[in-house]
Amino acid sequence: METDTMQLHKLVDEALPELDTMIGWAASYDPLRTTPIFIREAKSIPRLIWSPFCAQNLTGYLVKPPALKPADKHKRIGICVKGCDSRSLVALIQEKFVTRDRLRIFGIPCRGTVDWRQVMRQVPLSHVRSAKVEDNLLIVDDAGGTHKLNLEDVLARKCLRCRYPNPVVYDALIGEPTVSRITPEDIYRDVEALEKRPLEERLAFWQSELDRCMRCYACRNACPLCVCQERCIAETRDPKWLTQRMGIPEKFLFHFIHAIHLAGRCTECGECERVCPMEIPVALMKEKLNKIMEEMLGYVAGLDPTAIPPLLTFNPSETGI
Amino acid sequence: MRVNKFLNNPYLPELATVQKIIQETANIRTLMITLDDKKKMREFIFRPGQVGQLSVFGAGESTFVINSPPTRKDYLQFSVMRVGEVTQRIHQLNAGDQIGLRAPLGNGFQYEDMKGHDILFVGGGIGMAPLRTLLLYMIDNRRDYGDIMVLYGARSPNDLCYTYEFQEWKAGGVNLVLTVDSEFPGWKERVGFVPTVLSEESPSPHNRIAVVCGPPIMIKFVLFGLKELGFEDHQIFTTLEKRMKCGIGICGRCNTGSKYVCLDGPVFSYEQIRGMAQEL
Amino acid sequence: MAGKIFISIDRLTSTLEKLSAKIDLWIPASLQPDKRELTGFVPYHAGIVPILDRQSTLPPKKILLPQVETLLRFEYRKDPRNPLKGSVSLDDKTEVRPALVFGARPCDAKAFLTLDRVFTNGPYVDPYYLERRRNTLFATLVCRQADEACFCSSVGSGPADTEGSDFRVIPVDGGYVVDALTEKAQSLFNSLGDTPTQHQEAQARQVVEKTSQHRVGDLDLAGSTGAFRKRFEEDDYWQEMAAQCLSCGICTHVCPTCYCFTITDEIKNLHGERLRSWDSCMFYQYSLEASGHNPRPSKLNRYRNRVGHKFSYIPEKYDGLIGCCGCGRCIRSCPVSIDIRQIVGRLKENACESE
Repeated sequence: METDTMQLHKLVDEALPELDTMIGWAASYDPLRTTPIFIREAKSIPRLIWSPFCAQNLTGYLVKPPALKPADKHKRIGICVKGCDSRSLVALIQEKFVTRDRLRIFGIPCRGTVDWRQVMRQVPLSHVRSAKVEDNLLIVDDAGGTHKLNLEDVLARKCLRCRYPNPVVYDALIGEPTVSRITPEDIYRDVEALEKRPLEERLAFWQSELDRCMRCYACRNACPLCVCQERCIAETRDPKWLTQRMGIPEKFLFHFIHAIHLAGRCTECGECERVCPMEIPVALMKEKLNKIMEEMLGYVAGLDPTAIPPLLTFNPSETGI
Repeated sequence: MRVNKFLNNPYLPELATVQKIIQETANIRTLMITLDDKKKMREFIFRPGQVGQLSVFGAGESTFVINSPPTRKDYLQFSVMRVGEVTQRIHQLNAGDQIGLRAPLGNGFQYEDMKGHDILFVGGGIGMAPLRTLLLYMIDNRRDYGDIMVLYGARSPNDLCYTYEFQEWKAGGVNLVLTVDSEFPGWKERVGFVPTVLSEESPSPHNRIAVVCGPPIMIKFVLFGLKELGFEDHQIFTTLEKRMKCGIGICGRCNTGSKYVCLDGPVFSYEQIRGMAQEL
Repeated sequence: MAGKIFISIDRLTSTLEKLSAKIDLWIPASLQPDKRELTGFVPYHAGIVPILDRQSTLPPKKILLPQVETLLRFEYRKDPRNPLKGSVSLDDKTEVRPALVFGARPCDAKAFLTLDRVFTNGPYVDPYYLERRRNTLFATLVCRQADEACFCSSVGSGPADTEGSDFRVIPVDGGYVVDALTEKAQSLFNSLGDTPTQHQEAQARQVVEKTSQHRVGDLDLAGSTGAFRKRFEEDDYWQEMAAQCLSCGICTHVCPTCYCFTITDEIKNLHGERLRSWDSCMFYQYSLEASGHNPRPSKLNRYRNRVGHKFSYIPEKYDGLIGCCGCGRCIRSCPVSIDIRQIVGRLKENACESE
């Protein structure tokens, strides 16, 4: 990891003169988490890191207001992306939210990022002093001593089913390409496990999960492709779609409309699930819709910058239907 | 378990009935209402410039200045521009309909301090509404105030409110200057943007208080104009507008810095505004 | 003080059970069986396991300020003789039940002091909040589980603070010594536990003393009003501090001192309700005016307003009271790990440098 970080520093340093801003990850108050950093001067480059704690998808900053756009039209925006994040970039390029030649993409093959909440579930940590990943272990030092946890027990759920660990678009690659943790047949196993359950159980599952939903809209705001956020149906009063009540019907409606708006577009970056303060597996809904997209239309989002997501176009000779 | 009927609930509106409606312009209506509780209506006191939260139950509440003066209390008057969810429903009300009112809220004009001064009112479009209450109050107490000039403008003659009152204002000892943005057939008064006509009229700042209300862009240029004429910040007053909900300084949203427009305002002097956080 | 009892660990459940028969009891517990790390305050019921060894993910704010509540109900009636005339009747009856919050922390209880000032000490008093406040007791732990995001000492509180609490719950060997701090607290705990032994009382004193000396949070974030005003217009500062913000609203939802709300009407056919529900200053729509103008159009304006509200405007209005209890929930739950301590701390530090 250190060599990857050093390589990243070197490449960013070289590229900086032609960049307006470089978006990457930096250390935060907690060794298990990182915070985004926006670099404009060489002196800040040493703060850039790459590690399995760099969970956040940074591509949202390119489109959410105020979207980062170079003031000087000869300059570009540099951005670090993992495999999943690079697919978000492709989706943004497809829908013309960003143009490829205005980006300088530092792609990083990734074997998974740590979900700090899962770590806390295994060991209630306090005053974490350091954390690192070695082979298949997460080694954490806190006030209670040193803890060694199985990496697979603390990776984000999306990482365990990731089939694109290598960036699908990049200008420079940091580190070596890697292999997926999952076989193609198992990609939708979480969705399939839920599908096998009887209808009443599925309903009870979602009612129980959504009951915790606080309507904070973090999932919506963190999604790079959810672009109506300042005019979201969940909040507009004219026309009015939802009341302010905290009932299951309101939350169902918000979550399902949000998921349907993403059908065929969602690149499964997992941000929605990562940010949720109530740990609701909201990404499952989008995975289900993506499964339908793949089975019915043979389409996987965020791979080909020249493709058009099937629900955004009309193809008279649609196969699969 | 306790079931409470709160004795003094500032969120609970008084029921009121719409008595009369005047269609001022295409999208502005004036409502004249009376509180259903006759005793409360008789005892209702307020300062010019204070506001009320009008409720249309089912649509919500919206804030409007009480634009009738406390000296004319047969009814309480509100002028409403149709822009959103609640005002849409207000425009669908008929005489005899019941609505809710939470009033008076806010600070109102310091009309006592304005005694003995000359007054300049500058209004644009519906901005005349808060000015009207103070203007009529001053007309009803004419001897307390000096020269009163009203400069009132709108985009077109059809966008002027209270046209039926202009004669009365003049008869009350007011120098009334009306203007519209461009020429219109049959229009005999001034033509030009309000800030331009202000410069042309060039009222003296000496011992004069200016009260300005209208669209933000008009206020901005009128302020330039007033400063050029020699008005100081403490001589200029305006009313600020913000999205409001509770109207009683609790829900947090109408703040500009540490000032709540619903409690510390909506009337502010320009001197106060200069000292506030610049997020208007 | 007369009201001191000792509750042993193995008698905790039965004691809580007895309490819940007398009063609505809220305790911190897991919000999902397989997610022990996700906790909040829930109504006690048989079989629930209180989680008292760490701060809860969600604060007890909703007990005094529910996320949604009905302010009033309205009903339209038509006059059959005059179909154009509609009349309305209003009803603001509200049910408030006495409640006890057991297992909150000093930061949680202290936070309500800010809400008290806003809701009950202004020119207008919020009767809904006031009634709940009058009928709710807080049994607050002496806190020894501060983590790296906690900073209660930086904002005028501390891990043994009792302001806003009715009982102090002191962890000792084998259980808790519970101390009644207010008059209304005294009666509730009678016959619920044994009188503590001398040894237990001594240990309790020791725990309190040691904890009071422990400083949680290195910075001193009081007195930031002037520094904030100085940097208000410094766009570069807010850009640097809040560019990572997603404007998502999590911080306001998990914060014990955030109270901003909206009021909306819901109607079906001829009757409906006026609801009060939590809102967030982080949302674009929060200050969006009907004309389309928004005085805080950018997330940077909104984040600046949030910091200003807690560390500048509230202290200015309420004799220096800081509108933040230092619980650190916003830092822990923020998806991009924005650290408000840094932002406020650097306000003062750099403001000095620029002089």
